[in-house]
Parts: sequence; C-alpha cells; structure tokens
Amino acid sequence: MPDTVIRVDDLIKEFGGGFGMRSKTRAVDGLSFTIERGAIFGLLGPNGAGKTTTLRILTTLVRPTSGHASVLGYDVARQSRDVRRHIVVVIQEHAAELLLSVRDNLLTFARFHGLRGTDVRRRAERLMDDFGLQSEAQRKVQDLSGGYRRRVQVAKVFMVDTPVVFLDEFSTGMDPILKRSVMSMLRREADRGRTIVLTTQVLSEAEDLCDDILIIDKGRQVARGDLNALKLLTERIYEVSVTFDRPPNDLDDVLAAFHPLRVRTSQNTVHVALKDQEARALELAMALAARGHVLRLEINGASLEDIFIELTQKGVPA
Amino acid sequence: MSALSAVMTREARIRATNLLFIFWDLLYPLGYLLVFGVGINASLGFSTGDASVGYNAFFLAGVLAMASFGIAANTSWSFFLDRDNGIFYEMLTYPMSRSEYLLGKVLFNVLIAVLQSGITVVLAAVLLDVPLRPQGWPLLAFGMIVGTAGWFFFYAVFALRIRRNDAFNTVTSIFYFVFLFASSMFYPLEPLPAAYRAIAYANPITWHVDVLRYATIGLGDPTRIGLEAAAFGVFTLISFGAAVHALQQQE
Repeated sequence: MPDTVIRVDDLIKEFGGGFGMRSKTRAVDGLSFTIERGAIFGLLGPNGAGKTTTLRILTTLVRPTSGHASVLGYDVARQSRDVRRHIVVVIQEHAAELLLSVRDNLLTFARFHGLRGTDVRRRAERLMDDFGLQSEAQRKVQDLSGGYRRRVQVAKVFMVDTPVVFLDEFSTGMDPILKRSVMSMLRREADRGRTIVLTTQVLSEAEDLCDDILIIDKGRQVARGDLNALKLLTERIYEVSVTFDRPPNDLDDVLAAFHPLRVRTSQNTVHVALKDQEARALELAMALAARGHVLRLEINGASLEDIFIELTQKGVPA
Repeated sequence: MSALSAVMTREARIRATNLLFIFWDLLYPLGYLLVFGVGINASLGFSTGDASVGYNAFFLAGVLAMASFGIAANTSWSFFLDRDNGIFYEMLTYPMSRSEYLLGKVLFNVLIAVLQSGITVVLAAVLLDVPLRPQGWPLLAFGMIVGTAGWFFFYAVFALRIRRNDAFNTVTSIFYFVFLFASSMFYPLEPLPAAYRAIAYANPITWHVDVLRYATIGLGDPTRIGLEAAAFGVFTLISFGAAVHALQQQE
C-alpha cells in the first residue's frame, strides 16, 4: 500500500451557473494536499469553507469541476467504484436504515462491503457492546433517539476494515463519554494503519485527535501542519487561566488594559486569550492574581481555537 | 454480483418488516379484479369480438399491468424515504456502481410482481373461471419482470430529479391518469375513434398490457405483440440509461 493515501492537486468545485439561473459559487478553490497512511487528518474551517464539499469529492459523491484527486492511486472521478471499495464514510447528516433493527443495520452495511458470516455477526455484537447498543439490538432505528441513531451510523465504520475512513462531523449528537471512547477507537485504527480523514467544528476534538491539520476558508488553504507547526504561525498568542476561590468583581478594568482577544469565564475560572509579548502575558497573570485568592494559575500557548480564529479572521492569503 | 444481492437483501429486509404490506401487494390485483372486473362484467356486458372472452379474462392483464405499475411507483418513491433518512447519500459511497444500485433496488420488487401475477392468475381461474393458459406463463413472467423494471426506471428518473415529495406525488398522479386511461388496460381499442386509438398505441402501458393479455388469454396478433414487446424493451433500456444518468448527477 502506498504511503501517500490521498493526493489532491489544484482541486476546484463550482456549483450553480446552469442556464444563467444563478451565479457560480466556487466551494473549493484550488486545494492541493496529500495525506499519508495511518494519519488522522483534520479538515477544519468555518461554515461554508468547503470542508464538506472536499470530503464529498474524495468520497465520490461530487465530481470536481477541475483538478485531480485520488484515493490509494484511484482517481475519484474516473475510478469511483475502486475508490468506494477502499473507503467507509460517515456523512454529516444522520444516515441509518430507519426501518431495520440496529443489528440489521450493521449486518446490512457489512454485506454491502462483501462481508457476511459468523465473524461479521460476532463483530456486530462486539460493536453493539462498545457503543452501548446491545439493549437496543432488536429495535428498529426509527424508534431510537437522534443520539442512538448517530451511534449506529458511527459503529458501521468499525464493521469493515477499509483502509480509509471519512468522518464528516462524526461526534454531532454524541455524549462526551462515548465521544472519548470513539476517539480512542479511531486512534487505535490509525495505529493499525487506517487513514482517518475528518471534519469537525469542535476544535478541541481536532486538537486531541489529529496529527495533521488543514485549515481552509472560502475553499482555499489557510494553514497546514501538525498542532505545533500551526502554533508557530501564531506564536504570540497566549492563554492565561486563573482560578479564584471566589470570582472577583472588578476584572473588567484589569482586562481592558490588556486588550484581550477573548475572555471566557466558567465558575471561578477566568480564561483570557492575549496576543502580545510573553512579558505582557506574565503581567496579565500577575494583575489577575492580585484581584483575589488564587487556587490555580496557568499560562499556555495558543489553543487550536485561537489559531483557527486568528487564521480565518485574517482571511485567505491572496 | 455481491453488490446486487446486497441491495436486494436490503430491500427484502425492509419490506419484510411489514408483512401486511407484502400481503397487500400480493393480493390487491385480485381484489381489483373481483371488485371492478366482476362489476363491469355483470352490469355493462362486454364484447371483444371474440365471444369466448369475458371481461374478467380481458381485464386480468390490465390488473397485472396496473399492479406492476404500482409496485414500480412505490419502489421509486422509496428514494424519497432513503433521502429523508440520509441513507441515500451514504449508499452512494458503498462499493457498487449506480446501475447495480438501481437493478438491485428493483430486483426484489420484480420477484414480488412475478409472485403476485402467479397468485392472481391462479385465483382468477379458481374464483372467476378465467381459463388458464400455461403455455403463456413464461411470457407472463417475462412481461411482469421487464414491465416492473421498465416502469421503475421510468419513475426513478423523476424521483431522482424531483427533490420534493409532493411534486413527485403530483407527477405520479398525472402518470396514473394519462397512462392507465389512455391505454388498452380497461377496454379494447378497436371500437375507439382513430385519434384516441393512435394515442393509446403510442402509450407504453398499452404495449405492456397487450403483451400480458396475449400471455394470459392469447388475445392479439402475434406480430403486433412482438413489435409492442420490442418497443417496451427499448422504452425500458432508455429509461434505465436515463435513471443511471440521473443517479450519477446526484450531488
């Protein structure tokens, strides 16, 4: 199996414009990137950035207007069936066979990938245990809540061993405990050599999971690299977090002097993102600490959220 | 082949979740024949120019074609259900071609149509004295298979291109009205005005009904029936190509 699993060259996708009905919209605008085998690749961007369209092109649901994309060497436009033989996809929308039971959903999905028999049934039982679905195994999916339907949808990824997995906002509707568990499972799959490509709006998820990140906006690349490489792009962003025994009343005046990028308060903790020199971050920490009895104080480099906001607000480089 | 059987198994499992639905599918043509056919036969009288053919026998092919038409419409409507469930787009990422998807989707329903025609023909003989014509059964099975598939592909083009369920329902209602009544389904075409007859002979459901009528009771000129069968085959192939194209255009 080649080490470069996905290759995208100058990919462009335009929608609309037929018969002069409406102007053309360029959803993907000249993207180029590669993804290596075993990577967990995060495709990030604000709403309308072109993440889902890119994923839809790679999963053969949408044909590119121009450019080239391949999965395991198979062209997504000309060899789409070969591509589909090697991928499994969790689309953004809830997708399940509502009229079938949970168990039948898993078994039917496996059958589409040419798998049947005792081993497949055993695997379905194990997955229903892992995803907390065993008690619902016989119930039709239409009788389950949205969260349970999402579990069924994501569980299908683990029914097959295709080398490439695409997940479009897979954690939507999942409770935090299950999400953690699925993230661990995905990491294990990547360690086994499966390549995982995901989009997400939850940046902490990408921060925890992805070892390669592409940030796009308006269909174009804004930044690319692992978390550390991205942090270097915005190295002067710091987050100061202070936990007080009691929340102080007069923080606004202190904060105003530092012109913070973002302030977030949760219970007795204040998180302040600051774009400035390291010394100013220390000054801010000291100024905050002087306002009450401090239980905990942390100064961190930029989070992925800070990087994302900084890069996408700066706009796409010309 | 495994992709075809996977789609077919999926359709069968979905249909098997509602046995009443299958029961209705299998027996409703007979119900139609009993209610409509017996009523017309008894109250209006009937003549095909062949004294040996009663209306129940004449109408048998009509109800079989109607059932085939109905199954095809329901099967194509399931694209809307799949789209609403989100599974439609997920299925398009499964390892199968678009034509396998379409063929697999119709195969199970074709089997239902063939089974349904067998039950209807036998019970029509037992309950309504419609003569059995075993030598026509292979043609009957062929007519039901190609007919159901042809109408499904035809409807699928609209189901895939029209995104709104209510708009699709309007289209199917129009088709029901136009195709069924401007055809040889309910009455022989010979006594009709020339213009009406010309329209009816250009109607694919006339071709379908005439083949089924020849298969069930041997009525019709074999040469014309052969031409009609060939025309319906072409209609099916064109519809299949258009449906595959419509499926490839889904974005």
